[in-house]
Amino acid sequence: MDTTRKIQMNVNGTSYSDEIDVRTTLVDFLRVNCGLTGTHVGCEHGVCGACTILWNGNAVRSCIMLAVQADGSEISTVEGLAPGSELHPIQQAFMEEHGLQCGFCTPGFMMSIYEMISRNPDPSDEEIKDVLGGQICRCTGYQTIFKAVRSAIDKMAAANKSAAQG
Amino acid sequence: MKPPSFEYADPKSLDDAVRLLEEHEFEAKILSGGQSLMPLLNMRLARPELLIDLAKIPDLDHVREEAGTLVVGGMARQRALELSPIVRERFPLVYDATMHIAHPQNRNQGTVGGSIAHADPAAELPALVMVTDAEIVATGPDGARTIAADEFFVTYLTTSMEGAEILTEVRIPALGPSTGHSLQELARRHGDFALAGAMATVTLAGGGTIESGRLVLFGVGATPIRARDAEQLLAGEKPSDALFEAVAAKAAAELDEPLSDVHASAEYRRSLAGVMAKRALAEATARAAV
Amino acid sequence: MSVKIPTSIDQLPNSNPRFIGQEVNRVEDPSLLTGRTQFIDDLVLPGMLHCAILRSPHPHAKIVSIDTSEAEKLEGVLSVATGKDAKELTNPAPTAPEGWGAYCLAADKVRFVGEPVAAIAATSRYIAEDALELIEIEYENLDVIVDAHKAAQDGSPLIFEEHGSNVMMQRVFTWGEVDQAFADADHVVTEKYRWNRLGANPLETYGCISKWDLLENSLTLWASVQSQSHVALGRAVVLGLPSNKVRVISQPHGGSFGGKGGFRGPDIAAILSRKAGGRPVKWIEDRMEYLGGGAGQSWDRHYELSLALTNDGEVTGLRVKLLDDLGATAEAFGTVSAAKPLAAFVGCYAIPVAEYDLTMVVTNKLPGAPYRGMGPPPHNWALEQTMDVAARKLGLDPTEIRRKNFIQPSQFPYIIPSGNEYDSGEYEAALDGVLEMSQYKALREEQARARQEGRYLGIGVVNTIEPGVFDWNAYAIVGVQGTGVPEGVTIAIDIMGKITCKLGFSLEGQGQYTVVTQVLADYFNVEMADIEIVYQDTLSAPPHFGPGGSRLGVAITGASLGAAEMLVDKLCTVAAVLMQTERENIEFMDGFCRIKGMPDAKMHFAEVAGAILARSDLLPPGMDPSPQATFAWTAAGRTQADDQGRAKSYLTAANACHVVLVEVDIETGHTEILKYFIVDDCGTRLNPSNVEGMTQGGVAQGVGAALLEEYVYDEGGQLLTSTFMDYLMPSVYEVPMTEKKALVTPSPFTPLGAKGAGEGSMHTTPAAIMCAINDALSPLGIKAHEVPAAPNRIWSLIQQARAGESR
Repeated sequence: MDTTRKIQMNVNGTSYSDEIDVRTTLVDFLRVNCGLTGTHVGCEHGVCGACTILWNGNAVRSCIMLAVQADGSEISTVEGLAPGSELHPIQQAFMEEHGLQCGFCTPGFMMSIYEMISRNPDPSDEEIKDVLGGQICRCTGYQTIFKAVRSAIDKMAAANKSAAQG
Repeated sequence: MKPPSFEYADPKSLDDAVRLLEEHEFEAKILSGGQSLMPLLNMRLARPELLIDLAKIPDLDHVREEAGTLVVGGMARQRALELSPIVRERFPLVYDATMHIAHPQNRNQGTVGGSIAHADPAAELPALVMVTDAEIVATGPDGARTIAADEFFVTYLTTSMEGAEILTEVRIPALGPSTGHSLQELARRHGDFALAGAMATVTLAGGGTIESGRLVLFGVGATPIRARDAEQLLAGEKPSDALFEAVAAKAAAELDEPLSDVHASAEYRRSLAGVMAKRALAEATARAAV
Repeated sequence: MSVKIPTSIDQLPNSNPRFIGQEVNRVEDPSLLTGRTQFIDDLVLPGMLHCAILRSPHPHAKIVSIDTSEAEKLEGVLSVATGKDAKELTNPAPTAPEGWGAYCLAADKVRFVGEPVAAIAATSRYIAEDALELIEIEYENLDVIVDAHKAAQDGSPLIFEEHGSNVMMQRVFTWGEVDQAFADADHVVTEKYRWNRLGANPLETYGCISKWDLLENSLTLWASVQSQSHVALGRAVVLGLPSNKVRVISQPHGGSFGGKGGFRGPDIAAILSRKAGGRPVKWIEDRMEYLGGGAGQSWDRHYELSLALTNDGEVTGLRVKLLDDLGATAEAFGTVSAAKPLAAFVGCYAIPVAEYDLTMVVTNKLPGAPYRGMGPPPHNWALEQTMDVAARKLGLDPTEIRRKNFIQPSQFPYIIPSGNEYDSGEYEAALDGVLEMSQYKALREEQARARQEGRYLGIGVVNTIEPGVFDWNAYAIVGVQGTGVPEGVTIAIDIMGKITCKLGFSLEGQGQYTVVTQVLADYFNVEMADIEIVYQDTLSAPPHFGPGGSRLGVAITGASLGAAEMLVDKLCTVAAVLMQTERENIEFMDGFCRIKGMPDAKMHFAEVAGAILARSDLLPPGMDPSPQATFAWTAAGRTQADDQGRAKSYLTAANACHVVLVEVDIETGHTEILKYFIVDDCGTRLNPSNVEGMTQGGVAQGVGAALLEEYVYDEGGQLLTSTFMDYLMPSVYEVPMTEKKALVTPSPFTPLGAKGAGEGSMHTTPAAIMCAINDALSPLGIKAHEVPAAPNRIWSLIQQARAGESR
């Protein structure tokens, strides 16, 4: 039993460890301790989805998870999508389809979508809706986000196909 | 919205967890998926001195079938139900109920045991437990014991588990032959807690009559409510809209005063429960007939 | 020099424009998509402290005592502030009308639940929130008033004792012979409406960092603010600082929609900074603070609207009576929302006379704030719904009564009774377009078939005006002063020929940096990548206002074109010298200064700019060696308001017509949107995908308004919808995927013919959905005249109707 604890996690392939107050939320750990501010905080009660990240490959709300719960985990955030100078196909699709306006909710959306396509490269419209239903966007009205998801699926399928052929 | 200070323990065995809980019964809270607890912590509406995280305890997250019963560990994530081929193929009502829980991002983290033990009367899994006559395994200082669904939910957010007991397993029987199921609910938005909902199973006998039916209403009382008296009206009857209407009306009429809040008055909830019950019975019957 | 700004794309000095009017990718996006854009909470300054605010649990109470001693002792707490500090160090917030503001920390009494009473600056937000729990406050409760009607009555508990009344303003504005019109009418239709509180709720709440430099006696404020210069002025007034000692740095922000006021936060953080020796203090409003204490509650209104009509459906007069509940103070500028309907009071219709009976009251609720559309959305619903009621009464189809009353294309520019001028429009063409797209007749047939099956489908056909390019004179009736809203940019060309454009607003979501880049890339005939947008703070930028009032797209285009014209004039002057000819022989086209009639005698602008910077020996005498120009644009022809509030205010009048098909489940009261069609006319589309995004985003917020979103206060003044579990933001399941079509009637008055386009759907969608619901329920004799049309509410109406039937 502790009020502080030393934890370690791999975020986007890099190891981070720190001694933290056990009440620290995962999103605060990522943003403050790791300096990865691409994950945003929208409601801090698990509704809006702005803080969605991947925890061992699963999309979860990092505002209603303690950092200590992620001790020893693999975490992926928006910063891990495109580490270099090229956008990830999901990001590219969002840009081309105007799937964002203010962009504050977008990292959370993209992480959820990333998980969905990783599980099923060919999801139905209903499956897409199920995933997008857990993310709130106040700007776009979702129509272009839906288009961006379809476009990202096509881009990733094409990339996989050419990789397989290559 | 930052949690207040607390101590944190992540016991590596069930025994350790139970011991900690026993030692700190009134000051401790169990952290399983955290989808209900963490918002309350962030709002400082929950103020435990100790959080006991069950995630490091081995063998609490199984999803398997044993002789026609779905056996689910308390720490199994709700998403594990959704993604399990067994559930999808052989436990369609479990699948249906799971898909009505919030959103994938919550189900990835939320646990089966957490949701049932939290006992929110508007949640789907407690209603599922009631309508399927499931059994709950609670493990405490004296070992494990099995609690029948009917005995489990006491009142709002309260179960019959003792203070130092942990929900370690739920055992959900499969639906029998010639049995159809349905889940009907109305929420303000997809994924929200239902304003009122109903789950029903209907078993047909030969000759097109109903052998038996089960009906649970949720979101309308302090616990999910099995409408046993109303169910009795189904047995031996020929299915008809009038029958379903009568059964649903009886179930709704016999409810205690439902909760009233900004989204629904008690009167509205009662009416809605009847509508959902009627639709659930009709759909369950139609599915049984296929 | 007087600058002539192109009013259409073909007037640009480019024989083949490649960007403006095209769906180009946004320049904002790569940074946003990779999580690199620096929002306010991403900013960390050396020595920075974190603020948490203690808020009143009571709606109306005297503060008897505050004890902060235990909080001060907590390790990590650096400063504590209460109303005593606010009274000593600051002034009450300025308001319009004057005198209805309060100190940033309640000084003697609290007026609403959620009002800040004390604040802590500590080394982390966690510790700051811990410290709040150690503050002890004794309150003495006062009588609470939450009902607007009661608040207006004599003898009601007073929220501002010094005014002797809770009525901030009560006045009737009369435009023409209204009494006569109603006396002469064949029919008068009068309906009441209730629009409940809702609000902006951008996904990013408000946030700021205040740093009060004690030696300089200056404030630097980093904040997620929409109108930085306005905010800076407010801070100077509240904190008693010279206006040039307040620097506001607007961080990119995660949406605003008018609801990024964050009122009081910057001032509270400033006091804490001052008391902590000048250390920067960050305050991030959390979501519960936003919902219960932020700039996120708007339009708490009671309407009575009357139409005077002839037998054949011509509307001859309009009366609107509004009781507007502004909450506890006027400091969040919700009052201007009651004035804005003047800009399009009669909607799309040639109604000759009108009257506005306006009462604004204070109650013990959160002060009302602006929200997208700024007031007309409820007005539009009341007007459009009453048009439907009138149509039903006269046996007309909703499309017919509208068609009979449209302002005709030949009538533009058209001055409406409330004084504003509409620039252009094709309202009947928009209606015809959307009827064709939706196959309106087939929809009516579908509705009839469904009704045979006992299903209740309804169709809403609604058209509205979106006033665009706001001006202060629009709000004269509530005491706002001034005419003109300058928006400035500076364009500079460097020695390598690259272009920068400096301006005074940060990213918010509408894509204006992209629009500026498109305009300048085409103007100078370069690639978009050759243009760099540079944000400037309030002390650096030319006069500016930023986004607001469906204005910035037009204004920033005007500013960019104006600055480009000025800069090009200078380039041409120098080119004339370099090419040894007269200035009047030089023209600018496709990026070159060239001699008229001699296409090969030309110099590229970069070459000329390089000469200005590096060949002073060649420059004409007296010329400053600076290839840059600053231009601030404001709408021409705006007028001072008269005693009835009439002014030429908003420059453009965009128009949209929506058709929506809904189904109401009469057993549950639940409404589902089945189909949605839009024809939208906002003049020239500078970036069509930006416009489409604004349109669809407005639909989503309109769906929220019509069906989901509501701040509910109980009779004791407690907020019952204080989280996102109860304040219901629309998700992908509730927002319809819409079919959209553009109609383009350029504005004759604006840069490139564009009109304001940011608010149109919010003006239209709530009314369209409500009209559809009422259409669905009309066979039951039900009028659903309260938003949101929550299932509980609709079900109750159905029950009442049935009880009436069985009696």
